[in-house]
Amino acid sequence: MRTVVLRAGATVLTLATTLLSAAYVTAHLKNPAAPLQPTVVKASTGSPATGPGGVKLGPSVQPGSGQPVTSTYAS
Amino acid sequence: MPPETSVEAHHFQALGTNCSLFGVGVSRSRLLQGEFWVHRLGERLTRFSPDSELSRFNASAGRWVDVSPELEALLRESLRACETSGGLVNVAVLASMQAIGYTRPLAEGRPTTTVAVARPLPPLPQVLEVRPGAGRLKPGAGIDLGGIAKGWMADRLLEELGSNALANLGGDLSAGGPGPAGAGWPVGLGGVTVLLRNQGAATSSVRRRRWGELHHLIDPRTGQPANTGLAEVSVVASTGLEAEVVAKTALLVGPDLAPVYCAAHALAWWLSP
Repeated sequence: MRTVVLRAGATVLTLATTLLSAAYVTAHLKNPAAPLQPTVVKASTGSPATGPGGVKLGPSVQPGSGQPVTSTYAS
Repeated sequence: MPPETSVEAHHFQALGTNCSLFGVGVSRSRLLQGEFWVHRLGERLTRFSPDSELSRFNASAGRWVDVSPELEALLRESLRACETSGGLVNVAVLASMQAIGYTRPLAEGRPTTTVAVARPLPPLPQVLEVRPGAGRLKPGAGIDLGGIAKGWMADRLLEELGSNALANLGGDLSAGGPGPAGAGWPVGLGGVTVLLRNQGAATSSVRRRRWGELHHLIDPRTGQPANTGLAEVSVVASTGLEAEVVAKTALLVGPDLAPVYCAAHALAWWLSP
């Protein structure tokens, strides 16, 4: 008799856990439009201008017409 | 446009490369003081001298050691660079540098190693801890500050040289003020001239410091010289240090992602396959 009660209790507990879990998950659906990972890059603020030689220039960098006093280069 | 004012310029060798300082309204003695500062700090931050502060820090891996304010600042900037680059800029490259034979300045002779045997780098925060006035490396880890130091030093030099100056340390440069003609400092980037004002620029490349199939730019994902399909990236950013980090990251993400990455993080850029 005691074994039957224990089995019934375990079954009820399992079913209750399953139902409660399903109810919880259903009530807390994640936004399906949310990204799957953190954003890797920020959105660009505008299209850069393309200068001579394929150099891309954002709005805060202006092209110059004269000779440079120095350059960035690999060292 | 206002008339062009005269620029005081000073060129010298330091950090194993060519350096230049420019200033409008800056005395020559101040530029010489700048050179002295570069030499003095460079001697403390080189990994090629066993007596340098950096070498002693590397040799003390496993325990907390006192570090100078400059080294502490650079270690903190290195951690920040690692974070902002998604781990691609990682100064814990000493083991990889040694594995490819880059154990002395290239001016003293090219490495003879032809086969790289190296492992992926551990994330920098796992091997480097910094607290006020002290730092600790995990046993077996070692750092090479490389371009991080040059970009940071160019930014610090600019603070010392005044409001209208430019510091170029081996291509890592920082430009402040309106420049000689008022429109910004004319700087060469990717073969064209751009005007920089309170901005920095840097170039990352696998074309220099190269021997055989190997070169000095390590990809932390492999621990071996990078081979991403990009050979050179030049970038303008808000500071010299930031430009260095963005340029290296762009080169390492490769030609597919670099344009998008640069569009988000750089003020101007040039990519060369």
